[in-house]
Amino acid sequence: MKLIKAIVRPNKVDEVKDAVGKLGLSGITVTEVRGHGKQKGHTAIYRGQEYTVSLLPKMEIEIVVPDAIADEAVKVITQAARTGEIGDGRVFVIPVHQSYRIRTGELERD
Amino acid sequence: MRDLSVWRSRRLLRMAVGVFAASLLGGPVAALAAPVDPPPDPAGIATGDKSNAVDAGGNAFVVSEPTDKADPDYATKKKAFDEYQAQATKEPLAVKLADSVGHVRVATNAAWTLNTGYLVLFMQAGFALLTCGLVRRKNAAHLMMLNFAAYVFAFLAYYAVGYAFQFGAVAVNAAPANLGGTPTLNHFLIGSGQWGFLGGKGFFLTGPAYDAGSNVLTLFQVVFMETAGYIIVGAICERITFGAFILCELFVGALLYPMFGNWVWGGGWMSQLGASMNWGHGYVDFAGSTVVHAVGGFCAMALAIILGPRLGKYGKDGKPVAFPAHNIVFVVTGTFILLFGWMGFNPGSTLAATDLRIGVVAINTNLAAVAGSATAMVFWYLVFGKPDISMACNGMLAGLVAITAPCAFVGPTAAIAIGIVAGVIVCAGVLLNERILKIDDPCGAISVHGFCGWFGAVAVGIFADGTYGAGWNGVGAATYLGKAGQGVTGLLHGDSSQFLLQFGGATLCAVYAFTLTFVVFKVVNAIRPMRVSAEIELEGLDVPEFGMLAYPEEEGIPA
Repeated sequence: MKLIKAIVRPNKVDEVKDAVGKLGLSGITVTEVRGHGKQKGHTAIYRGQEYTVSLLPKMEIEIVVPDAIADEAVKVITQAARTGEIGDGRVFVIPVHQSYRIRTGELERD
Repeated sequence: MRDLSVWRSRRLLRMAVGVFAASLLGGPVAALAAPVDPPPDPAGIATGDKSNAVDAGGNAFVVSEPTDKADPDYATKKKAFDEYQAQATKEPLAVKLADSVGHVRVATNAAWTLNTGYLVLFMQAGFALLTCGLVRRKNAAHLMMLNFAAYVFAFLAYYAVGYAFQFGAVAVNAAPANLGGTPTLNHFLIGSGQWGFLGGKGFFLTGPAYDAGSNVLTLFQVVFMETAGYIIVGAICERITFGAFILCELFVGALLYPMFGNWVWGGGWMSQLGASMNWGHGYVDFAGSTVVHAVGGFCAMALAIILGPRLGKYGKDGKPVAFPAHNIVFVVTGTFILLFGWMGFNPGSTLAATDLRIGVVAINTNLAAVAGSATAMVFWYLVFGKPDISMACNGMLAGLVAITAPCAFVGPTAAIAIGIVAGVIVCAGVLLNERILKIDDPCGAISVHGFCGWFGAVAVGIFADGTYGAGWNGVGAATYLGKAGQGVTGLLHGDSSQFLLQFGGATLCAVYAFTLTFVVFKVVNAIRPMRVSAEIELEGLDVPEFGMLAYPEEEGIPA
């Protein structure tokens, strides 16, 4: 199994969710996060004083997928979250050693 | 360290409560010692009779008997009196009817004054939203509590001594005949005649101040005092202890506001300078650009200087750092509530629905508000490339503050001009305070209320067109500047003495409010620091001062 961790624009969450749903994946966890990449935020102005907003709000989407469809999942997430502008985000793929269902204690396999 | 600061703040709180309790006990003794006067009318069943019946031009139904035989018009007046007497004897029913008309007139005016007073009361909600929105979210609960406590404690102080100081002698020189009911508030504690400095009757709203007509004035005036009281919140927030703040409110409600209010509205010496020194119509401030706003604004300036800037407001290079508003939605909503409340503040200051100038007053007030706001937007756009929303709101309030003194005496064109100048003053004032004087004023209260309040009173002396205010402060009831019916007149319409008096009086107001506050609270601050500890300030004042947060769910507490 793989954990796919995608950091995307807040307004792209629904599109990513729909795209992932079409792959038949049901579990998804979304977290509000803040951060910056290469562009390091932007500047704002308040009563004539400029200030930097360096940590911009993003959404982190976590899904666990079978190894077989991990590449496909990354592809649809990337397509759904892309605008082509700076600040589209990142996708990480991390191996998952074990996964348990809390209600039953059952160990899940691929 | 944090515990110590909490303890300190509690000591200050106890001190504030102690001072207030002492003033509560002291009052009734003074009230009991007052000389016997005609009885007040708490039930309101003897207020308003034929003597209150007047026509649209202010001509009384009852013609009083002339007493001064040396008066060159004595013969004419005596003839008018004799004619009235003859007619009254012939038509007793008409005299009875005039009693009803007089009563209805007073009742109409009381309803008008009370309802506009309720609008002014609602401004408290606008100010709470405005100031709370303009600060950082870690202090949001503290801001709301300051606004709330301002109303509570300043009200009690005004009830105890403030009203008596301000209006305890109003019947001597300036009784508002529109409301009836104040003829026994006639004693100056300091000064006398045309040179009164502090009123001396009606402490704790007892004696002559327990009166239906007088209490209409009390309600209307206490909410005006509250306006001065909550102006200071905008400049001292995010760093003052609750105890020190309560002392500030007691000071404003008991002394700072009532004393200057007595000088201008309570029949005191500044209002009488026209009669005593032949200076224009005396010092004129229709609804309180100086009496309310400049007093609050310059008091706020002194307190902001004593407290010093918020931690981190100025970087190591001395440059100001932006502390962005945490809720612009509150800021704009609060500003609109204030505009709405101002429809009570200015038109209500006629104290009479029967004074039809209220239409002009309401329009002038709105025109100055929109002109001030438009100017602030354009100013900020030209200087910084974008119109700042919080400054657009400050610009609207600047226009409102500046039109408050002249609103009844000028025309619509002048109202626009006044709004435009106020819009420039408020923007320049915010930049001056923040960048040059380095006075940290989180909400722009000093610039909006202090600087624009000062300008508002001066604007009376520039723009007043003479169409309103004949006989104001007892000056020029028959003729003024050689014209019958000529009212308060400014520099542009030919009365330079009014301008000089307005300029001097407004400046005196600024100096008075700043100096008195600075001296009193320098001493208070030396006895017990008025500012929270650095740890509390960095953490946010909500939990250390009140034990609760404005937005607990953001601290991980489930909603």
